Amino acid sequence: MRSEAALPKWASKPCMMGIDEAGRGPVLGPMVYGCVYCACSYQKALSTLNFADSKTLKEEKREELFENLKTDESIGWAVDVIDPRELSSKMLKKHKINLNEISHDSAIGLVSRVLNLGVLLTEVYVDTVGDAEKYRIKLSERFPSIKFVVAKKADSIYPVVSGASIVAKVTRDRALRDWVLDETAENMHRNFGSGYPGDPETKSWLDDHKHSVFGFPTLVRFSWGTCTSYSKHLVEVLWESDAADEDGLSERTRKRQLKLTNVGFTASKRKSEEIESSGKGRCKFFQARKLELLSEF
Amino acid sequence: MGTVNLRGKGESLPDLTGKVHQLPCCIKYDGPTAVSQYFKPKPTGVEIDGLRVEEAYFRGRKLQGTTVPLPQGYSGFVLGKTSLGKQANIPEENPNCWEMKAKFQNVTVWNHDSLPSQNDAFLRAFHWFAVAKSLHQPVTAEDLESSSISQKLE
Repeated sequence: MRSEAALPKWASKPCMMGIDEAGRGPVLGPMVYGCVYCACSYQKALSTLNFADSKTLKEEKREELFENLKTDESIGWAVDVIDPRELSSKMLKKHKINLNEISHDSAIGLVSRVLNLGVLLTEVYVDTVGDAEKYRIKLSERFPSIKFVVAKKADSIYPVVSGASIVAKVTRDRALRDWVLDETAENMHRNFGSGYPGDPETKSWLDDHKHSVFGFPTLVRFSWGTCTSYSKHLVEVLWESDAADEDGLSERTRKRQLKLTNVGFTASKRKSEEIESSGKGRCKFFQARKLELLSEF
Repeated sequence: MGTVNLRGKGESLPDLTGKVHQLPCCIKYDGPTAVSQYFKPKPTGVEIDGLRVEEAYFRGRKLQGTTVPLPQGYSGFVLGKTSLGKQANIPEENPNCWEMKAKFQNVTVWNHDSLPSQNDAFLRAFHWFAVAKSLHQPVTAEDLESSSISQKLE
């Protein structure tokens, strides 16, 4: 997504860019990374546009500023919308990717995308995610020609980051407002609230949409702590990837948990966890294919 | 020793083809649930090893899977205990006697975090069909003759 079709002239002069995120904390909906860039010489004009940290502005004001920003030919912008399914699944992979890494990758992706457009980026301002200095080094190693400034509250210090925060926040709000639920259960509604775990509207939406087997609709970030508090209402589901997580498990328990992958009967004589056929004691052909002979069932 | 009754009512059985999923996890629940409303497999357009890859999400995990047909001449069955009571709900069941409750002609096999492959244990289990066929095929006079010839040649 980009504002201009053709590369503007100013893009070949030294440019600065701000990057900010919206929707990092919410338990549902996408996380959005946004960026705004312009010629370094436009910096003064930028500060007169009254961008401020998007959280301090009312929704109508943010929408208005976003529209102004889109029509301003001296400014370019881009967004990266990270689907809640992607957030949950990356954070719940066998090799888990944490939210900071996902955030870093998204910011790096935006820098690459703008550079690939042919914009001469020389300075990039980013709000800190995790340790500021480590993040700065990571970005600088990746893009040696760019000077990175990683700062806490960058969105209220640097107008270019404030602009990015508006782009991100408006995009996130619209994405949530227009979200098409994948699930087709009856009595579903769209009063998501802000998505923040503390928001009473979000809480009641979660209550209304929890499902004992499926958990929640895929709009929800299952990897969030908020969801764990619902787990007592849900049917237990064991994954192979969870077993490696828990240190201090006895070898037996670990083996049992690792045995979850396959088909089988859950007969009364077996523990419910041991559902995998093993082919134990049979010839190699059967062992390799986990085929077991069942006479008692 | 359990027995499975595969006779009769074959035609009237509910057909679950396209609705049988093998998930890479243990769900500690037995019973009906709103699968089609919550579990939404989508084709990815990717094909690997001749397997068409689908994706779906369950409990926040991304699953990648493929639908495999059961070989010609084989059918899948959902078995349930034969009920002895007049009403189906009465817990009076024959403990070892099973009967067909539904049938299916394919299975969608799902992996967590890995693409489906012909090396997945579930697909490898299908090798047994070919081996079983050779093992159980009646031996004809010609077969015996040709094997005795090859023994003489050695």
